[in-house]
Amino acid sequence: MVTDPGDRVVESYVETDNSVETRKAVSDGLLGIHNVTSNTFWQFAAFFGILFLLGVVGFVMRLSSGFDDKAAWGYYVAVFAFLMTTSSAAPMVAIAPRIANSHWRRPISRAAEIWTLAGCLNLILYIPLIWLLPSLENGRRSLWFYGQQEGVPAYSPHIWATLAIVGLVLLGLSLLWLSTLPDFAVLRDHGEGWKKKWGGKLALGWRGTSAQWNWQHHRMGVVGAFYFMMLVFVHFFISVEFLMVHVPGWIDSLYPITHAHNALQAGVATVMLTMFFLRQFGGYKDYIGLDQFWGLGKLLLALSLLWFWFWFSSFNVFWYGKKPSEQAVLELFVKGPYLYLFITIFILVFILPWFTMIWNPVRRSIWGPPILAASVLLGTLLDRIRLYVASWDVAGKNMVSQLEMKMSEVPTKIPAPEIADIFIMVGFIGGSILTFMLATRLIPAINLWEQKEMLLYKAEVQFHRTKVTIMGKSR
Amino acid sequence: MVDSNKWGMVVDVDRCTGCQGCVVACQSENNIPINLEEHFNQRRAIQWIRIERYWEGEYPDVKARFIPIMCQHCGNAPCEPVCPVYATYHNNEGLNVQVYNRCIGTRFCANGCPYHVRFFNFWEPEWPESLKNQLNPDVTVRSRGIMEKCSFCVQRIQRSTRESERDNEVLEDGDRGLNPACVNACASNALIFGNFNDPDSTVSKMKEDAMQEGGRGYRLMENLGTDTNVIYLKKVDGSVEVTHGY
Amino acid sequence: MQEHTQLGQKQINEDLLKGVLTVPKWWLPAVAFLGLVVLTGLGAFFYMVYHGLGVTGLNRPVMWGFFIANFVFWIGISHAGIMISAILRLTQADWRRPITRAAEVMTVFSLIAALHTPLMHVGRPWRVLYWILPYDFSRGIWPNIRSPFVWDPSAVGTYLIASSLFVFVCLLPDIAILRDRAKKPIVKKIYAQLALGFRGTPRQWKLQIVAGILLSALVLPVFVSVHSIVSWDFAVLIGVEGWHSTIFAPYFIIGAIHSGVSAVAMLMALSVWLYGLDKYIKPDHFDAIGRLLIIVATTWFFFFFLEWVYALYTLESPELALRELQAFQWPYAPLFVLFIVTAFVIPVPMWLFKKVRRSAALMFFTTILVNIGMWLERFLIIIPGLVRRTHMTFDWGTYHPSIIEILIVVETFAFVALGMLLFAKVLPLIPLFDIKEGMVNRRLIKVGRRVIPATIREGLPHHYYEKKH
Repeated sequence: MVTDPGDRVVESYVETDNSVETRKAVSDGLLGIHNVTSNTFWQFAAFFGILFLLGVVGFVMRLSSGFDDKAAWGYYVAVFAFLMTTSSAAPMVAIAPRIANSHWRRPISRAAEIWTLAGCLNLILYIPLIWLLPSLENGRRSLWFYGQQEGVPAYSPHIWATLAIVGLVLLGLSLLWLSTLPDFAVLRDHGEGWKKKWGGKLALGWRGTSAQWNWQHHRMGVVGAFYFMMLVFVHFFISVEFLMVHVPGWIDSLYPITHAHNALQAGVATVMLTMFFLRQFGGYKDYIGLDQFWGLGKLLLALSLLWFWFWFSSFNVFWYGKKPSEQAVLELFVKGPYLYLFITIFILVFILPWFTMIWNPVRRSIWGPPILAASVLLGTLLDRIRLYVASWDVAGKNMVSQLEMKMSEVPTKIPAPEIADIFIMVGFIGGSILTFMLATRLIPAINLWEQKEMLLYKAEVQFHRTKVTIMGKSR
Repeated sequence: MVDSNKWGMVVDVDRCTGCQGCVVACQSENNIPINLEEHFNQRRAIQWIRIERYWEGEYPDVKARFIPIMCQHCGNAPCEPVCPVYATYHNNEGLNVQVYNRCIGTRFCANGCPYHVRFFNFWEPEWPESLKNQLNPDVTVRSRGIMEKCSFCVQRIQRSTRESERDNEVLEDGDRGLNPACVNACASNALIFGNFNDPDSTVSKMKEDAMQEGGRGYRLMENLGTDTNVIYLKKVDGSVEVTHGY
Repeated sequence: MQEHTQLGQKQINEDLLKGVLTVPKWWLPAVAFLGLVVLTGLGAFFYMVYHGLGVTGLNRPVMWGFFIANFVFWIGISHAGIMISAILRLTQADWRRPITRAAEVMTVFSLIAALHTPLMHVGRPWRVLYWILPYDFSRGIWPNIRSPFVWDPSAVGTYLIASSLFVFVCLLPDIAILRDRAKKPIVKKIYAQLALGFRGTPRQWKLQIVAGILLSALVLPVFVSVHSIVSWDFAVLIGVEGWHSTIFAPYFIIGAIHSGVSAVAMLMALSVWLYGLDKYIKPDHFDAIGRLLIIVATTWFFFFFLEWVYALYTLESPELALRELQAFQWPYAPLFVLFIVTAFVIPVPMWLFKKVRRSAALMFFTTILVNIGMWLERFLIIIPGLVRRTHMTFDWGTYHPSIIEILIVVETFAFVALGMLLFAKVLPLIPLFDIKEGMVNRRLIKVGRRVIPATIREGLPHHYYEKKH
């Protein structure tokens, strides 16, 4: 006897193809791809490994130059911020559609979550920065309202920022682990060699009982929600501690949101490119299809338009305000030495994605959205360079106290990157990609259980003269 | 005289006695309605120039400070771009002018003004019968529902310019026909009016001297970057040494 | 778990047209009362026009008062319609179906209500044409396009036109049904004219659907621009410290969505109670809108937090003085507490409980609290913002609304309620065709021993997938 949620007996229903055979076919198919490691993979891994070694060299060079000259650290912070805006925002592409119950996310979510592992690299980059943050003792404009106020420890911003960033990485890792538990169990039961061993250890005794499934789904929701909140807070701290504090007169209440939004946009772009490479070179051609790129493309389109809106909301108020302090900030970031860089960013991050993707043939294609995602990522990298290099340049050169409302002088040219900066940039971006690649050797890059879960909800039915897909609602 | 004028004022706060003579002169020159007690209580009184009085120090060591405040005729006026109907705009003589006929009374400009020198006619202005013949024919009587503010007595500037053009004369600096009513009325010469574009004018010289390092000159709320055409000279205290300035 | 009740087309027609074809007992008294309030408000307006703005409580530091706060509030409410119908339509959220029409109609009426007050509150209302129309008349000059006040009428006007069109396009199939059912020939004739010859041919349906999707996509940028521009009426001014903040545009938008979606939840509860539509608006729908509200309210609160943090972060004395006035001084302190408590502290923790989300009465209660709070929020931004304690102590003042202002504010509320009631008398407030479409798309899927509701996925056209294989 079959009942509906209102406990009434129903007769007409559709049965989904959820047999053991189908489920096994899905598992086997994905595991088959997962178990193959081609030579090309190792060639690429070696390439990124060498890049990462360069990065380590650059890191050491940068450290040896000391903490006194703040202007020299601009590019370093820009790389840190770029990794923060891409790798740590990528899991949102798994979290948000999962909360919204969108089925197109299923092949995407795992790859998005694996990017949190690259966040660990970012922690290494963060450690020297602790010494570079201005403490409240130096009369720094403070989030804690009065820098001089008694009872507020002088290093409280350092503590908060560190807690937030470490917390974000930990939350990301636990999210990844939670969502991989069932897949580790599959590896334990069907894997070979070291994968079997590690899968067994990491599966934490997963047996797939309904209690375990409920527990896992519930925890994933909670951790995901906290991840998002933590992400927003981390971007709040970063945009204050690493940017606004250094530029007298830059009082922009929208900026933390803009920064977090840039991260979401870059995160979507990262995941889109990841999916593209997994599809072309990872062997997942049959699993990653138009639906995924279409869904991500729509997100990227909306986020690109939002980019303009956030930027304009800040710009408009500064432009109309015409206070000397605000004019100096615009001079620094938009009108002055960074004008051409800004125009490039504007085209890469807003004009190109928006004005091409509103066109259906581009948005509904496999090739279109990834190209624009690359444009967005490049634009975001340049944007981080523009903002962070400029701010740290001001911090290094500006002689006025940080409690002043206006910069004493606006820099007239962009500082050139040193060799160490270039090493760090290619090294740590390459290192993140390497981390991702190596992680996919243990963790399946496409979620096994979410693919199998889909079988429960998806069916094809006849509708008049055509066949349509129907999707069940899990809640 | 140079081609384009840039009218401005220098206000020597040290000379101001707070006598309110300028206020009365302005009131009668510009057809400002009589401010009754109830208007003050409603905080709707109209005074194009007002003397703000501040007490400084603790009793018994109290000093009264006076500062006359009128429209600052900002070069970068916050009130101008926000008016939807161009009722307030910047003319080519450096004046921030108000066109009464265009004004519809959104009061956007009044909110935007950091100096609070814009006034709204909440009621239809009324004069006692005896004062009706006293109204200045050169100045529009504003109806209710529109904004008004100090115009640097633009009607006097216009008349002097016209007359000097007619007679082929040069507009004289400090001419009493050119000066706004408040400047003429000031007994202690605290207000000086003139053309900032003319390097020989009194105001230009005073400005140059006062705005030097260590001078007495300042602008009201300079951090807003409004680039005002009114320069204030600060009060001279015995204890503070002034190296420059009148 | 979504409940599944399959209803026949005939029954849907019967249920949803009840409000139009019959007159409920309470309808006439309610309309008469609201009409009286509207007339009183109009009377107050004419009194104000005759005597001048002196009859309001406005004065020199406080040049904008109740009227502008109320304007921002109604613009905020008007964001609900598009939020609910356009965004949820584009994201294919199925629970939108019974709610869309009411939300859109509320958008239209609240926009008109919003337009009341700024036009009334100018000094010379008989001259507003110079401001609103981008035309130079005989003055020889065009309006000043640098002014946010010129962007305002064009944005609001576009939004009003677009959302009216949206309502109309979505109404066509329902008007056609009414045309077929109307008894009186004159009524039939009017409906026939309005239905634009809609007969339900496949081509007509296709056009109607495409028009709906296009309008909802096109109206989204307008929707964002409207409240951004309203916020820039405040944020571009440097003279008012509390307003000059870059976050204003997004903060106003998210606040608008907060109050607007809450207002839609109120409408849902009201239509269940007044028109007995509990078969169509179910606990599931309240649940879904409650979940949405949790996200919206939390985001809004974060924006509110940021606005405050950065105001204090400037460490400038006028800004700090303003914030102290807003939060700690009479009479704003109690209002501030009331605002925080009603807009966030009470409703959001309540919505976390499923029982609350699924109860019409509790949702009505919490959302009405939200709207009280959000009205106060606008009040607290605008009035203390202007009453601010600047360096110039001679201009310190305060503000008390006069009876005229209160009457006109009350009038706007009555106007929107009256408009909704009149609309519900002539046209159905729940879209018949949308409900039917939902019913047609519904299936049941068996998972284990349970069946769960499923819908036909409105995805890409099939040939996109066929190309792949």
